Amino acid sequence: MSEILKIENLHKYYGDLHVLKGINLHLDKGEVLVVIGPSGSGKSTMLRCINHLEEYQKGRIIFEGKVIDPNSSDINRVRTKIGMVFQHFYLFPHLKVIDNLILAPTKVLNMEKEEAVEKAKKLLDRVGLLDKIEAYPSNLSGGQQQRVAIARALMMDPDIMLFDEPTSALDPELVYEVLAVMKDLAKSGMTMIVVTHEMGFAKEVADRVIFMDDGNIVAEAPPDEFFSHPKNDRMREFLNRILNI
Amino acid sequence: MAYQMQVLIENFGYLLIGAVETLKITSIAVLMGLFIGTFVGMGRLAKSRVLSYPSSVYVEFLRGTPLLVQIFLIYYGLPSLGLNLKAFPAAVIALGINSGAYVAEIVRAGIQSVAKGQYEAARSLGMTHSQAMRYVILPQAFRNILPALGNEFIALLKDSSLVSVIGITELMKSGQIVISRTFASFSIYGGVALIYFGMTFTLSRIVRYAEKRMAIS
Repeated sequence: MSEILKIENLHKYYGDLHVLKGINLHLDKGEVLVVIGPSGSGKSTMLRCINHLEEYQKGRIIFEGKVIDPNSSDINRVRTKIGMVFQHFYLFPHLKVIDNLILAPTKVLNMEKEEAVEKAKKLLDRVGLLDKIEAYPSNLSGGQQQRVAIARALMMDPDIMLFDEPTSALDPELVYEVLAVMKDLAKSGMTMIVVTHEMGFAKEVADRVIFMDDGNIVAEAPPDEFFSHPKNDRMREFLNRILNI
Repeated sequence: MAYQMQVLIENFGYLLIGAVETLKITSIAVLMGLFIGTFVGMGRLAKSRVLSYPSSVYVEFLRGTPLLVQIFLIYYGLPSLGLNLKAFPAAVIALGINSGAYVAEIVRAGIQSVAKGQYEAARSLGMTHSQAMRYVILPQAFRNILPALGNEFIALLKDSSLVSVIGITELMKSGQIVISRTFASFSIYGGVALIYFGMTFTLSRIVRYAEKRMAIS
């Protein structure tokens, strides 16, 4: 399989605080990577460095064979290829669902409006929300908003999707509908990096799981091995805590 | 008192013509203030000092000096630099750039009131900084600051009475002209005040209506 993303020796500081301490990671096309770890371990920060929502001080990120240069205007083109889904959805509240979806394609990719609307309808149908096309985000449940956010990211035809704790802000009964959309996406062959606490999702969908602690990747394994034979003490402790609540 | 009322009734039409002039000056100054304020407000938040420093100087200077001085400076002061402005453009420019400073502060607060995640979401979709501002941040910011902008426009409408000093026959000046002829100070200034109130009250209703319409269901 061909490599789509590579992170080399990534270091990130917030002032004196060293939050990423030399991350190395590679990802193949079509792979689903789940990132777990305690809060403050640097999971989200790592994810946000990939599309350069966070600056980093050292290291390189290579996407589709090219080093991402944060200072070049090329970063906007790269970002269209990297879809991102946030914990708090961040739908644009002043725009209807349909306009949330077609804004970036029409303004950034110069897609014709009719074409964008057609595409938006297909994607809304895919996430089961075609009937909400004229709704404003504030009239949707959290789960519905997150599904719209996923559709919005897919409008750009990304080559990889980043999920930053996509179900953490949801009521427990709404988690399922978002995970279902993500599973469907994984099955369709989308390359994904998912920061999550949903161990069920990790077991079922992930090709690989990494465990982060204190700014380092401390373990990496396929899900079966990962959950049945945790090698690292810190990881065993973490898994015990979240699996036996 | 009967004389006072009679003078007011006879000259009411004349005062209204002045009020139209007041509205003209105010509306052009409002547009100018909005335009300047939007860019200066964004400028104050810019990372680059080349943008943020001049924006801060602009705001601090115009907020920190009397409007009356600014009007005199533009109308009487600029000609000595070779720039002669007629009274009307001088008045509009003075009010507009003054209002721009206040609007800039309102816009700055409005932009800061929009969640940072909105900007990140826009950028994550590949939008440039300008696109994110234009399509995502500013529309939300303006909705949040509409009440504050309403206040500013009302203040501007009232402040426009100051340009009577450079000889523009707006509402205030019209009143003074009538009084100099009739000496009916009480009824005419009373009438002038009522007309100002009628305009500001209408304006505040319009703003309230716009607020309701723009509130997301």
